[in-house]
Amino acid sequence: MSKVIKGRVTVIKNKRDYYGIKKEAILVAKNTHPELIIAINKIKAIVTEIDNKLCHAAIIAREFDKPLLMGVANATKNFKTGDKVMIDFDNKIINKIK
Amino acid sequence: MKDLLKYTYLLDTAKIKESIENLWQRYQRILGNKNSSFEDLNEARAILYFIGYLYPEKIALESLENRIRYIKPNISLDRFLSIIDGKDKKTLSKYRGNKKFNSLKEFYLIVKDIKNRVKNNSYLDEERFNRAYSKLKPKDYL
Repeated sequence: MSKVIKGRVTVIKNKRDYYGIKKEAILVAKNTHPELIIAINKIKAIVTEIDNKLCHAAIIAREFDKPLLMGVANATKNFKTGDKVMIDFDNKIINKIK
Repeated sequence: MKDLLKYTYLLDTAKIKESIENLWQRYQRILGNKNSSFEDLNEARAILYFIGYLYPEKIALESLENRIRYIKPNISLDRFLSIIDGKDKKTLSKYRGNKKFNSLKEFYLIVKDIKNRVKNNSYLDEERFNRAYSKLKPKDYL
């Protein structure tokens, strides 16, 4: 059975945005910063545009056992804070839902 | 940077650590010196790019990808990274006496340390770098 998560997006454009994260957020960013740690307990999953096993998002996701979807082109443009999405991690798909 | 590459080829973790620290100290000296020139700050910029991105995300990652296949029992890079970052004690104990595994683990932890380093409340002290750089950046800079 594939791993699927639903939730609301918080788009991260700069480091200050980490302070505005609400509980159970699906964080969407180009890349992440180490500051992500301050909000890690509020994050349900992480989605990034970049795809690299040693980027901050990948390291932090492994350390805190958070689901991570990397390599989503234009994610920060295609999704807005508040969008409801469904992520299928096994098939690496993220879609807006109603 | 050449030394760091050389010791990465050799997987000499003590020298890798020393080379990274030398680059970090040089970077800090440039940022801490009021008389640093725009050229100096571009050296700092090169160090920042190298230790913050190029080395961990390209060179070190490639090195891990190439070397992971020599570890027995076989382990994928994803699994290797997950058991170290996730502190999976059960799996780690399986590799406790495995010299190759432990060398790669030590290497990865050194890379992770510089990748996650924070100084003056910013990642790799980049806010201080950005302030110093923009102060000296010529108006007609391309």
